Amino acid sequence: MMDDLEQMLLEVKDTSELMVDLAYSSLLYNNRDIAGEVLSLKEYVDELNATVQQEAIKRTMVDGDVSKAFITIRLVEYLEEICSAASGIADVVMRNVEPHPVIKMSIRDSDVTISTAMVVEGSDLADKTLGETRLASNSGMWVVAIKRDRKYLYGPDERTTVLAGDTLIARGPNDGEEYFKDLSAGKARLG
Amino acid sequence: MVDTAEPSLSSEEGREKVPRTVRELLTEMKDTSEVIVDLAYASLVFDSEDMVEEVHHLERRMDTLLYNIRIKAMLSARTKRDAEQLAGLLQVASSAEMISNAAGDIVKLLKYDSDKRPFLPIVLKEAEEKIKSLTIADRSDMVNRAIVDMGVESETGMRIIALKRGKRWLYDPDEATKLKAGDLLIVRGTDNGYEVLRSFANGENLWPQYPKPEGQ
Repeated sequence: MMDDLEQMLLEVKDTSELMVDLAYSSLLYNNRDIAGEVLSLKEYVDELNATVQQEAIKRTMVDGDVSKAFITIRLVEYLEEICSAASGIADVVMRNVEPHPVIKMSIRDSDVTISTAMVVEGSDLADKTLGETRLASNSGMWVVAIKRDRKYLYGPDERTTVLAGDTLIARGPNDGEEYFKDLSAGKARLG
Repeated sequence: MVDTAEPSLSSEEGREKVPRTVRELLTEMKDTSEVIVDLAYASLVFDSEDMVEEVHHLERRMDTLLYNIRIKAMLSARTKRDAEQLAGLLQVASSAEMISNAAGDIVKLLKYDSDKRPFLPIVLKEAEEKIKSLTIADRSDMVNRAIVDMGVESETGMRIIALKRGKRWLYDPDEATKLKAGDLLIVRGTDNGYEVLRSFANGENLWPQYPKPEGQ
C-alpha cells in the first residue's frame, strides 16, 4: 500500500499529465477557460510540491532513507518542469493574440488527437460513470474535461458520472475519435 | 515495418531527417514530448538502460528540432501580426522541448534508486494510467497483423510505447509494424484495458472483427 507521501507524489505526476493534455486542448480550441485551469493547477502543484519536499525531509529523520528522500525531491522538481511547460502553452492562449493556425494543424496531425463530443439523451455514455462505460479502454479516448452547462469539470475519474448534455473533451488515437463521437451521439453502442 | 533482427539503415536514416516545414516540425515535437515522458516512466518501471538511452536520444533530437523551428519561424514572419503569432508558436515548441528535458532528468534518477527495494516502480504502479508489459503468444491472432489494422489503442485504450523483438527495441513503433510471436510490448493505459489486451495477446480471446460500416 502507498503511504501519504507516495500518494502526493502520484498526485503531482497525474496532475502534470492532466495539465499537458488540458494545455494542448486549450490551444486547439483557443479556450481561455481551460487555459486558466492549467494556470490554477500550476499553483496547486507548486504548493503540493512544497509539502512533498518538506515531508520527504522529515522522514529521513525517522527512517534515515536518504536516497528515497533525494529521489522524491528531485522527481517533484522535474514534474514541476513539465507543469511549467504546460503553463507556458496555456499562456499562449491567455494572450490577446489568436494562436497561429499552424498550431492547430500540428495538433491535428499528431499521433495523439484531441476531440470533443456532446453526449445526447439515450447515448450509452449518459447517466453512467466513466468506470462503468470503460470509455478509455473501449475507445482509447481518455476524458480530460467535461463541460456541463457553463462549468467545466477537470480531470474526471472512473467515478465521475456523465450526464446527457455534457460535452466531453478527450485525447486519444486518431482512429478512436469516430467511435467516441458516435457513442456520444447515440449512433453507436458499447460492446 | 521491421522484419529483420538488425535495424534497417533506411528506417534509421528516415528517422533522423529533419522536417522542412514549421507544421511538421511542431507535430514531431508534440509527438516526441508525449512519447519521451512515457518512455521515461517505462525506464523507471522496468529499470531499462536501453530505454534510458532512447530517452537521451530523443532529448538530443528535440534540441535539433527546436533550433530548426526557430529559424523557419523567423524566416516566415512578414508582419507584426505574423511575429506575434509565431512567438506564441515558438513558445509551444519550447514548452515541448522543456518537457523532453524533464523526461531526460527523470531517467537520471534511476541510478539513485535502491536495488533491493526500488521506490520509483512502486509509486508508478499506482498511477491512473499504468505502464506494463506483455508478450505476444504463438497462438495469439495478433501475430502477423499490423498495429494500425487492429487499431490496438482504439480497441483497448492501451498505447504501445515500445516493442522488444529478440534483442532489438523498437520505440514508439510505427503503426504499420506487424507483430510477431514472442514480441514483448511495453504498454500504457488502464488496468481494465491491460486485461483486455492481454487476453488477445495470450490467445485467450480472438481480436474482434466488426462488420464494415454501410457504404464502404
